[in-house]
Parts: sequence; structure tokens; C-alpha cells
Amino acid sequence: MNLHIVNIIIKREYLTRVKKKSFIVTTFLVPILFAALCMLPSVIMLMAKEESKKVAVVDESGIVMPFLSNTETIEFQQFENADPEVLKMKLDSVGMDALLVISPLDSAKKTVSAVSYASKPLGMETSESIEHKINDAVEDYRVKSYNIEGLENIMEQVKPDISLVSYKIDEQGKETLNESGLYMILSMVLGMIIYMFISMFCGMVMSSVIEEKASRVVEVLVSSVKATELLFGKIIGVALVALTQFFMWIALTMLILAVVGGIAGPEFLSGAATADPTAQMAMMPGMDAASAPVPSEMSAILSTLGSIDYVQLIVVFVLFFVFGYLLYASMFAAIGSAVENEADSQQLVLPLTIPLMIGFLIAMFAYKSPDSAVVFWGSMIPFTSPMVMLTRVLFGVPTWQIVLSVSILVLTFVLCAWLSAKIYKVGILMFGKKSTFKDLWKWLKMK
Amino acid sequence: MALIECKNVCKNFGSKVALDNVSLDVPEGKIYGLLGPNGAGKTTMIRIINRITIPNSGEVLFNGRPITQRDVEKIGYLPEERGLYRKMEVGDQAMYLAQLKGMSEKDARAELKKWFVKFGIQDWWKKKVEELSKGMAQKVQFITTVVHKPSLMILDEPFSGFDPVNAELIRKEILELKEQGATIILSTHNMESVEELCDNIALINKSHLVLSGGVDEIRRQYGNNHVELIYSGENALAPVEGLFSVISDADDNGRHTAVLSLNHERLGNEVLTSVIGQGLLVNSFKELLPRMNDIFIKLVTEGK
Repeated sequence: MNLHIVNIIIKREYLTRVKKKSFIVTTFLVPILFAALCMLPSVIMLMAKEESKKVAVVDESGIVMPFLSNTETIEFQQFENADPEVLKMKLDSVGMDALLVISPLDSAKKTVSAVSYASKPLGMETSESIEHKINDAVEDYRVKSYNIEGLENIMEQVKPDISLVSYKIDEQGKETLNESGLYMILSMVLGMIIYMFISMFCGMVMSSVIEEKASRVVEVLVSSVKATELLFGKIIGVALVALTQFFMWIALTMLILAVVGGIAGPEFLSGAATADPTAQMAMMPGMDAASAPVPSEMSAILSTLGSIDYVQLIVVFVLFFVFGYLLYASMFAAIGSAVENEADSQQLVLPLTIPLMIGFLIAMFAYKSPDSAVVFWGSMIPFTSPMVMLTRVLFGVPTWQIVLSVSILVLTFVLCAWLSAKIYKVGILMFGKKSTFKDLWKWLKMK
Repeated sequence: MALIECKNVCKNFGSKVALDNVSLDVPEGKIYGLLGPNGAGKTTMIRIINRITIPNSGEVLFNGRPITQRDVEKIGYLPEERGLYRKMEVGDQAMYLAQLKGMSEKDARAELKKWFVKFGIQDWWKKKVEELSKGMAQKVQFITTVVHKPSLMILDEPFSGFDPVNAELIRKEILELKEQGATIILSTHNMESVEELCDNIALINKSHLVLSGGVDEIRRQYGNNHVELIYSGENALAPVEGLFSVISDADDNGRHTAVLSLNHERLGNEVLTSVIGQGLLVNSFKELLPRMNDIFIKLVTEGK
């Protein structure tokens, strides 16, 4: 292979794509989207706080109202002896957002029923909060109705409040708080990103091969350079586009978060924090670290995020993306060389998209049992390992397994690339006839 | 001396034979016509010379030694199925193709600018190929074929898609390149341009080489020793046994245009003496060579 020539090809493949409007738009829009997603929880909390609701209460039971204490977002106001039917029609004029009607006490069942009316729905949090208060009221009524001295205190004492605190122990015996729910989400996101990247950029390679064939420019090209030089120049060029996009996304997302964090204060970004979790915790309003023997959920999330080895994650991601992509791209290029338009490729790419899909699906469910046989083999078989290994990495994978899996992937890539190049060489000059797998097999055997 | 020598080249695609034991000598500095009906194996032959396809057996010599990948930098190829990247700018595209042929960026830019000026298309540099008409794109493609000053040019149907004005421009360019010492392999179905441009030809039919040699030589070889005689006289020319027969004779008020069939190609003087002896005035005496078109049709239909 003439490296100088391959370089020229890589340069063209890279520059034509990077200069495209669609590339520039996605490169800048996606980080904004990422950053927005990171900030979303904080934004929602802020917005929710601002909107407090005034609730008119008609308490026909007489036991609930004392429990309806005002909160930051809900303000209760009792309307004694008001007719709910009349009141609900003129909520606006009395300055109320909603009407809560508590039925008279059912003394046999020792319960009440509650109905609310509002022109705008109350929202999940508000409804839940009201439900809680009513339940407390009924519970209190029932406890009192037993007429046992001190029962309230007893009840209070028997109520357990236990939550499972998980620590992850690493090889040095260092313990870190661990939130497995978060791992689940992260592993799914990683699996999805690598699946999207591989299928998107392999599709790009394939359409580029088809474009060259359909526009007939390929014949001039292969009269100047070897078909294999063209093939690998293209594949490498597109890979560099993918890596450029990937690192731009990371850099831009971090930049946006840093800028927004600088302006709005770090607690605004709590959901996306990757900084020292204890420092973040101290800033959390209403969270008293000393009096809480059990770590709160937020601190667990922060601790989990802080405990991830991002360098390792990015290295493994890049490694598996690059070789997973190379493996699939060479095969997609071989398929592309066999057809003259994209519609004809549908049937031929099926044997490639199916293993890709299987890898994706295993990756999506890997969190349920990261050490099961399916997940293990999925992370070793080269056609699925890029997606599956990525999801496993978060849960901790022995280094030898990563090395073994990468080695298998690289070897398979070399073999597939060699076979694909043989098909590609013949395929790009075959015009007029719709090719089948039989043709591909024939080309493979050709000298 | 032969620039390109193909020796016993065989190529088959699976069970289909594309070339069967074909040998060609393309002399240096000449225009070599590669002829043949559709599907005869011309494109395969061209692709083998270009090293796009590797023959099953036989070899191709370039300047007397087996052709290598480096030699393709000295070849310029204009395929019959033209194509450029539609979304790419004309200038970038031409630069890219020139660099793939081994030119440095600087040389490529300088040479391309020259050609663009020569063809009067300087304004197209920043245009996208998809904005060009077919004929315009063909011009760009021709430039990309010749910009690296190849010593061998392979032009497959170079005139198709051009209007007469531009076809003439290309024809002149081809002759000029020949004058500068380039060797040109011209594959075309246009037999008039073969007669006009080619020094030598090869005719491939059904994977076999059926004819090769100098154009005039071949035409003479396929001629029937016919001559056209224009004479004036009151009487019509009478055939002479053992010398010539008269195939046709058109009389236009005493001015006759006749086609004679000579018994032997070297009998011209004797025939003229005989004509003069019959008291006729000779206005013109001209050898009639068969058209390449007729030879082509004859050979190809005979092969069926």
C-alpha cells in the first residue's frame, strides 16, 4: 500500500464530510442537547417550585383539615360549610386553583374518600403530597379509635425505615457508594451510543461506496490507486470523522456545563456533577450530613458518578468503537460495492444488521445480570462485543477479559477486512446486474 | 518501439471468457485504435492495461518490462462510463484526481489552472459538479485525464457527449498530445475518427483478436483493387481482359465517373495507358480504399 496515496484519500474523505452542514449542525446541537438533559432535573425543580397552588378544602369529615399543613408549593384554605357543587364553579373568582372535597367519615370502615376538581391538572407531586396527608389523617384517626394509651408512640416506634446502602469494593479495598440504578442507565446509554455510532458511520461508508459506484467515478479512481487503498482510505477517513465528532461532543458538553455552572452556580448542575461528591453534598440545601446516618439518594448518585473511572471508560469506548466500527465498516463496504443504489442494499445488509441488533439488545439488558453467560459471551464474540463490553465495563470487568475481547475483535477485523477487500475489488466494477450473495461468494473466490 | 505489449492475455470471469489469448503491440507515439463490438472484451483489455483487473494468464509490458503499480501514474484513463463526485467542487475534484496520479499539490494547481484557461472554464473552479451540464463535466473529466502529462492515454469513446464544436476541440487536443510524444489508445465505435486519427488498430471480437496492423495497410488489404476514374470522352470506357473490368460508369454529359476493378493492385500504369489508348481524357485516377466501417461490419458479421 502506498501510504502517501492513502493519506490523500483519507484527507478527501475526512474533509468533504467535516465541511458538510449536517456534520457541523449535529456536532454543535448534540452537546446542547446533552447539556440540556443534564440540567433538566434542576430546571424542572426550579420551575415546579415557582408554581405554588392554592387549594380550597371542603372537609365534611372534620378529621382531615388539621393534617393539611401548607407546604412550599401547596397552600390549603378551608371553606367551611360551603357547597362543593357551587364552589367548584367559582374557583377562579375566590382565587383558588383547585377544590379538594373530603367525604363525611364512614365510621364502619373508618375511612373517607377524597375528590379534587381543578381546571388545570394538579400534577403528580401535588397529588401525591395531598394523598399522603389524607392518609396520615385517616391513620391517626384509626390509631386514636383504638383508645389505647400511648399507641401513637408505639406505632411510631415500630415503623421501620431501612434502605439498602451499596458500596462497591475495588481491588485495593476502597469502598465507594454505589447506585446500581444509575449504572443501569449509564450502561444502557453507552450501549446505545456505540450502537448508534457504529451503524451510523458504517452506513456512511456504505453509501459512499455506492455513491462512487453509481456515479462511475470509481473506475477513474481505481485506475490511479489500488482498490484496497481506496477502501481503507475511505474507512479510516470516516473513522476520523466519527472520532472528531465524539471528542467534540465531549469537549463541547463539558464546556457548556462549565459555563452554565459558572453562571448559575454548581448546585444547578447537581444532576450532572462529576466533581467531588462531598463538596457537592455540603452545598445541597436541606441536607444535613451529620444528622443523617444513612447516605441520601443524591449523595449516592454523586458518589457513584464520582467513582467511575472516566479515563478507562473513554479508552475502552474508543478502542471498542474503533475496532467494532472497522470490522463492520469493511463488511458494509463490501455490500455497498455489490449494489448501485441504496434500495438494493437493504436485503444484503441484513446479515450485518442482525448481529448488530443482537449486540444492542444484549447490551440493553446486560445490567440485569452483568455476569451471566449470555452477557459474557456477548462481550467476547466480536460481532456483539463492542456494545456488550461497554455496558459491562461499568460493573467492573477483569483486565484480561478486556484484552482478550479486543484481541479477538482485532483478529476478526483483519480476517473480515481481507475478505471484504476481495469482494469490494470485484464488486465496484460490476454494473448493470443486481447482485446476490451467490455473486459475492463467486467474487470472493476470484483471483 | 512498443510502449505497451500485451502477451497472450487471457481473462475469464467465472466460466465466462472475456479475453482469449490476446496479444497487442501499441507503438510509442502513435494513436492506436482498439475496436470491437459491444461486449467483445475491449473494456476488460483496457482495465488490464490499467492494472484495474489482473489477467488470469499472460502479461503486460510497459516500456519493455512488466507493468507495475507505479507505471499507472504515467497512464491517463478516460473511461467510457464517465463520472465525477457530484457534490464536490470542480477544482477540488480535479486537484484530488491529479494528486492521486502522483502530482504534488503545487504542480497540480498550476497545471490545472493552465488547462482551465485553455478550455475557457476558469469560472468553474468553485462550481459543484452537479451544477455542470453533461458536456461541461466531460471537459473537466478530459482535463483530469491528461493533466499529469501521461505518456500513455487510454480514451474510451472520448467524443461521446460532446457537441461538434467541443468534439473538434478534443480532437485537436488529442493530435497535439500525440505531437508532444504521447501514445494514445483510442477505443471508439466512430469509424470515421478511426480513419482520421489512428495509425494502427486492433479489432477484438468475441474475446479474440481478429485483426491488427496499420490502418492504411489494413484498408488496402481489404480493398478489391478498386479505383475511381473520372474521364471525358464521347465513348464509354471498355474493359480490357486480363487488366481491368468496369464495375460502374456514370455519364454526365460526356464526363464519366467510373469504378474499375483492377486485376492486380500494381497495374495502375498499364490501366492508364489503356484508357489513354482508347482516346479518353483522364481527369482523375484515385485508389478506392474500403471504409473502416465496412471492414468492421464485414469482420464482425463473418465472425457470427
